[in-house]
Amino acid sequence: MLLSLSWLREFVPYEGSASELADRLTMLGLEVDDIVHPFEDISSIVVGKVVECAPHPNSDHMHICKVDVGSGELLPIVCGAPNVAAGQTVAVATVGTVMPGGMQIKKAKLRGEPSFGMICSEREMGLSEDHSGILVLEDSLPVGVPLVDALDLDREVLDIDITPNRADCLSVLGLAREVALAFKLPMNVTEKLPTFSASDYPHPEIVIDDPEYCPCYMGRVITGTRLAPSPIRMRYRLHAVGVRAISNVVDVTNYILMETGQPLHSFDLDKVRGGKVIVRHAEEGEHFTTLDGQDRILTASDLTIRDAEGPVGLAGVMGGLESEMTAESKGVFLESAIFRPASIRATARRLGLHSEASFRFERGVDQQRTQWSLDRACAMIQSLAGGIVSDRLCKSEPRPFVPAQIKYRPARCTKLLGEEPGLEFSKDVLTGLGCAVDATRADEWIVQQPSWRPDVTREADLVEEVARFYGMDKVEPVLPSVERKLEDASLPETTYAFMDRLRCWASGIGLNECINYSFVGTRDLDLLNLPKEGRIEIMNPLSADQDVLRTVLAPGLLHTLNTNMRQNVSSVRIFELANVFKKDESVYTGTRETGMMGFLLTGRRYDELWPHKAGELDYLDLKGIAENLLHFLHLPAPTVRQASDHPYLLPAVEVYVGEECVGTMGRVQPGIADRYEARWPVWVAEFNLEVLRRLHDAARTGFRELATYPAVRRDITVIADPSMKAQTIMDAIVASGSFLLEDVSMIDLFVPADGASRNLTFRLTMRSPKKTLKDAEADKERDRIVHALEKNLGVRV
Amino acid sequence: MDIISALEGLAPELEKGLEKASTAEDLESLRVRFLGRKGSLATIMGELPSLAPEKRPEAGKVANRVKEELTSLFEARKKALEEQAEQAFIAGFDPTLPGRHPWEGTRHPITLTMEKICSVFEKLGFDIESGPEVETDYYNFEALNLPPEHPARDMQDTLYITDNIVLRTQTSAVQVHTMEKRKPPLAVVSPGKVYRRDSDITHTPMFHQVEGLMVGDNVTLAHLRGVLTAFSQAMFGKETRVRFRPSFFPFTEPSAEVDISCCLCHGKGHVNGTPCRVCKTTGWLEILGCGMVDPAVFSCVGYPEDITGFAFGMGVERIAMLTYGLGDLRMFFENDARFLRQFV
Repeated sequence: MLLSLSWLREFVPYEGSASELADRLTMLGLEVDDIVHPFEDISSIVVGKVVECAPHPNSDHMHICKVDVGSGELLPIVCGAPNVAAGQTVAVATVGTVMPGGMQIKKAKLRGEPSFGMICSEREMGLSEDHSGILVLEDSLPVGVPLVDALDLDREVLDIDITPNRADCLSVLGLAREVALAFKLPMNVTEKLPTFSASDYPHPEIVIDDPEYCPCYMGRVITGTRLAPSPIRMRYRLHAVGVRAISNVVDVTNYILMETGQPLHSFDLDKVRGGKVIVRHAEEGEHFTTLDGQDRILTASDLTIRDAEGPVGLAGVMGGLESEMTAESKGVFLESAIFRPASIRATARRLGLHSEASFRFERGVDQQRTQWSLDRACAMIQSLAGGIVSDRLCKSEPRPFVPAQIKYRPARCTKLLGEEPGLEFSKDVLTGLGCAVDATRADEWIVQQPSWRPDVTREADLVEEVARFYGMDKVEPVLPSVERKLEDASLPETTYAFMDRLRCWASGIGLNECINYSFVGTRDLDLLNLPKEGRIEIMNPLSADQDVLRTVLAPGLLHTLNTNMRQNVSSVRIFELANVFKKDESVYTGTRETGMMGFLLTGRRYDELWPHKAGELDYLDLKGIAENLLHFLHLPAPTVRQASDHPYLLPAVEVYVGEECVGTMGRVQPGIADRYEARWPVWVAEFNLEVLRRLHDAARTGFRELATYPAVRRDITVIADPSMKAQTIMDAIVASGSFLLEDVSMIDLFVPADGASRNLTFRLTMRSPKKTLKDAEADKERDRIVHALEKNLGVRV
Repeated sequence: MDIISALEGLAPELEKGLEKASTAEDLESLRVRFLGRKGSLATIMGELPSLAPEKRPEAGKVANRVKEELTSLFEARKKALEEQAEQAFIAGFDPTLPGRHPWEGTRHPITLTMEKICSVFEKLGFDIESGPEVETDYYNFEALNLPPEHPARDMQDTLYITDNIVLRTQTSAVQVHTMEKRKPPLAVVSPGKVYRRDSDITHTPMFHQVEGLMVGDNVTLAHLRGVLTAFSQAMFGKETRVRFRPSFFPFTEPSAEVDISCCLCHGKGHVNGTPCRVCKTTGWLEILGCGMVDPAVFSCVGYPEDITGFAFGMGVERIAMLTYGLGDLRMFFENDARFLRQFV
């Protein structure tokens, strides 16, 4: 809301500065974003008088003028405007003036004639789009005075961010009330009434179909108006508060809207057919052409204003093209009404037609001021466009405004604030806001809602008002002690804390956390060959890149990969904890959200080339992380199973704890990785945090006695077919070992140059709990294992 | 040669050998040659049984003496060599060689900030609650006193899954779930991702919030001011001043925006005479919104009419940007490794 300070002063005698006012309003909840000076960039333009005006000898349309700008000598100015003439009072930019567009006026020669300035059009001054000729001013303006001063334009405008509850502050009048109360100033509202006359023009009858949607509708008939541009001061005042001037009648409706908050609409009187104005919902599928020339298809939920033949306006949103005021109009039917806020909002939103009027109707308009605003407008129209204002008010008010009578307990206010604001203070604030306060019962007042405050209907609303003027900032801070329940002490670790521990672990082992958007593009999921069923799509995405929720973390991780490949990062080791989303009708939102932990590794194993050995991140790095994760969660070493038909991983490996699959890992198929500009094999893994959490909660860690007797180690090298998996051999070793075999670990892998076999070396650790093992006993154990391997796996040892 | 002279000859022989030995390996082979199980000493001693019984005690005595002598010669040389090696190590030690770095992991700045925020509230006694990111219109809006077609819905551009299912626009949605399953008194914060249909230099379509709620028999605005003052000072320093500016949120009444004194210019508006770029000379930074819970929200979850409570909510990105002096919000979600690796 743009509030002109001089307009405000017409209602309240505020003499302080704009910035002081801005500070106070801001601390009352009316946040001032900015103080604007709308005419600052034309402040050096002065009023001048064209004393002489002769045709330019070298041009068929230019004139050479002699202009008096109060400097004692006449300035020669060449002017190309068709309407320039001697005797005119005009706006002059003298040499040195910088125009709103940034152009500086210089001494010039135009077709051989010297020119010392410019006579300005409105467009050149940024005041309107009018460039048909120069601006001609009233002759009474003093020559040589800055234009802004001569016209007494609105120089200071506050840009106020009005919260949706404060419908009343969307007007000069409403803001004046706040200012009056805040600075303890009197309100000073000048009443404006037209001269009413009897009129024999047939007055339309007002018919309201559903009072629920239109509690009050009224209008006045004005005949004999002359449509013309409004006077300069009015046009520039509207300009200062961001409203485009159109014509006197329309400008008045906008002026009153800004001043009182009551949106008005002017219909061409002769286009209201059949002697009726009907407020009724549209027919489903009905066509209607709005003022902007657009053909709209209406629905049964749109409220319309109709005459006997059809719609003439979209109630509270926009008028119709057909009933628009034109130069030929001989009279006005001026509407002032109240509509149901939700209905106006629904229509405005559906059609994307947001106007100053709909904005106010959505929030609530003062029903007690409907006629007051209407008559004020009629008075202004009469003074600007002439005409006869009929003394017969066309009106239907099936639901008169009934103010809420609110119980207000001063003790409740104290209980909410934690401080006693003072009974007299509270009463003064409420009275000052326009509430009638009945404090007969000291502990429970009856407070009447002001008609302009649709947001004040409950005790809490009154407490807010008292708090606002008391100053929320004045309440002394007190740190509360939080009451806790004993039974909450044994609650399990929160998901947040569990995830936080995982983040600490992952960053501790050297991975970088990334956070990707939960949504990706359908094409990302398609690229990864992910199933189309079960996806959660966004109805109104910002772009095609963000139209579906991730069903796996991979697309996000790959986006991060892509970013880093483009930045030439040589090593990417990232993790992410986030939800993935799939359709599930058993959840109340239809969406199953599952917490996942994802990893992605690619590039050099170490950023530095020394002293680490060079190498590329590979499967063993990823698997080591996976194994470490499970270890961190107190889970046993996982087993892995290769999956044959994974949508985007090849090889793809499923990770099992016991019989439960906890995650998947593998290499992104090169064709897919290429699309994200990968330069090395890309290894990714994803683990289901819900499953891990459940297993983790069930896992018990205990202390194991330290061994008393020394261990004996024997190394064996198994020469196996290249297709034989290491796990197969390890399982066979464990299966054939006796209780003496404590541990098997792989210590070397060698592939001979011929590639016909793989040589895997395992270290067997043997120990007896009862005594020191003898060499011979260890050898015997080893021999039994070797024998079993040779027999069962057909390998050489 | 008799056994005794053979024994006597071992020491000089070892001495000669040791003089030439310069490495640990040389030493070891000498030790094996002289003192090993099959070494010279053992070999000579092996012949002891062939000696006349009366000569054996003397030979035994000599053998023991020689063994001690050999051992001490050997040890002396070993010690000398070790000292030499130690000296060489010290002389050649270069403390300036680059270290062998382990991988250096990091948590995301949003995580770090969120964790810091939450830990302040946990210390004050708040529990942490989480909720779903996909929500019904009811939990995200209606139960928070935001009926359909309420103009306050304009404050948040919403991403819809269906007409009735949204990506939550605020973590406040968790409030209602919490109150449905827990009875007062309670004090919770809920951190998490939220979504809005908005994308420009100061908005990303996904961002993070931390929402707080405290409900009890005597929870007041003074308590809200206490908690948020404590929070602001814990986050931004003891000198931080806090300002409550009345505002509007559908789910609280009265409502306020909370400003803190600018952490760059300390509320002065200027730094060394130049306008402060962080607060734009106002001296204040808006960091969160809060208020006393609206009775309509309590009635939605069936809490008694006379209960009171406060709620607050803040954007994590905003606080992270202030903490780290970061200007561009979008960097958080680009995940450039050069960015991520700065936050430890």
